[in-house]
Amino acid sequence: MHIPDGFLDGSVAATMAVPAVAAVAYGVRRAGRTLDDSKVPLLGVTAAFIFAVQMLNFPVAGGTSGHLMGGALAAVLLGPWLACIVMAVVVAGQAFVFADGGITALGANIFNMGVVGALGVGLAMVLARRILPANRTVFLSVAGVGAWASVMLGALLASAQLGLSGTVPFATVLPAMLGVHALIGIGEAVITVAALSAVLATRPDLIDGAGFGPLSTAPLTPAAEVAS
Amino acid sequence: MSGSHDHAGGGPVGDLTSRVHRLDPRAKIVGLVAVTLVGVSTPISAWEVWVACGLVLAAVAAAGRVPARVIWVRARVVLPLVIVVAAFIPFFRGGEVVASLGPLDVSREGLEVLGSVAAKATIGTVSAVLLGATTSVPAIIRGLETMRVPRLLTLIAAFMYRYLFVIAEELRRMRSALASRAYRPRTALQAAALGRMATALFLRTFSRGERIYLAMLARGYSGRMPRLDPLRLARADAVFVGLILLTLLPLRVIS
Repeated sequence: MHIPDGFLDGSVAATMAVPAVAAVAYGVRRAGRTLDDSKVPLLGVTAAFIFAVQMLNFPVAGGTSGHLMGGALAAVLLGPWLACIVMAVVVAGQAFVFADGGITALGANIFNMGVVGALGVGLAMVLARRILPANRTVFLSVAGVGAWASVMLGALLASAQLGLSGTVPFATVLPAMLGVHALIGIGEAVITVAALSAVLATRPDLIDGAGFGPLSTAPLTPAAEVAS
Repeated sequence: MSGSHDHAGGGPVGDLTSRVHRLDPRAKIVGLVAVTLVGVSTPISAWEVWVACGLVLAAVAAAGRVPARVIWVRARVVLPLVIVVAAFIPFFRGGEVVASLGPLDVSREGLEVLGSVAAKATIGTVSAVLLGATTSVPAIIRGLETMRVPRLLTLIAAFMYRYLFVIAEELRRMRSALASRAYRPRTALQAAALGRMATALFLRTFSRGERIYLAMLARGYSGRMPRLDPLRLARADAVFVGLILLTLLPLRVIS
């Protein structure tokens, strides 16, 4: 889903850069007010962590494989705005260092693979806390569904951008992209839920730290009480 | 999602003392991004501009003595995506039909889209590869920092690059531990073990982040990264950017 240079029409690439830059710029300004210096190395190693786990391939039907995107995981661990920043750095690093994803498509790629997942899952978490009971099952379900949806939404956006650019016929590409990503999304959801339940069991304070409120005071598994 | 970052990795190659390698990173960023912008904004009717972009990139590669094999290995990530576009060509309706493969018609419009996407993707990817092959990542980050990219982003990028290979190596060891216990997932539903592994890795990463900050404090960190060698633009940098722009812009305007 890393869109290379030349796959997007100039106007589509420029249009997609607007929300990507806006979200990252807002995140940076917000971090300037609320983030203390000691968290900067932490964000850096988390970016390296997301970069590394994107190498985790898992099988999808028919011999193809997908890999983790990490946007939903980052959103829960860091909060939506810091996740935007970290995902933007990861995607930009892939473009500059590995030539994976075009420099001119950077806005679209950051938006599809980072901003949408980070803000979408962040918003879902906030809403869930308002209207649903705060417990482990709800938390993990929202994270899992959010992870799946973030992959599907990213695939939908990428197909729409490629279709609008006239690179591929939208009506033909959309079912193919969504079909493959429905399965990749399951992998993303399974990994995200397993990762978060393990964090809940060992370091629930980290999730509390991301601003998702009273979740860590909700009853956890017995194993968690032993471990913490 | 076909991105695989398992390949050789970035880092400068070729003659590390060449004129191109010694240029200011900002000059290389501006010059090579300009090649990409010109290439990507050119329509297929002005294909001579793509040839000129290719020649400029070849000249940069030759001046930096970047081996063709390295460019090929690093640029081929883009290949599967171009093939995917090729697979959709028959579905383009309308336009003049130039060939038929069984029930599918290949239209001129479809071929033009493929040619234009392939040319632009090649120019963009090779530009990025040459930037990475002639400039160290810390230098690129410093260049971006002096080009007014927010300091938080460049700091995160610097830490990410510093620890990427450490963490990737840790991940590799954890994967071989899983594999040696006969873990071989066949469906996406069996990916949960990867998630628990990701958590173990994240917790290690997290405590590493805390340790790094304490170590930085112990070395007198006060919120700024000290720089020993300020970046300076020299005449060679102006010549590099000037030559690229003088070659491509007039041609782009008249075609």
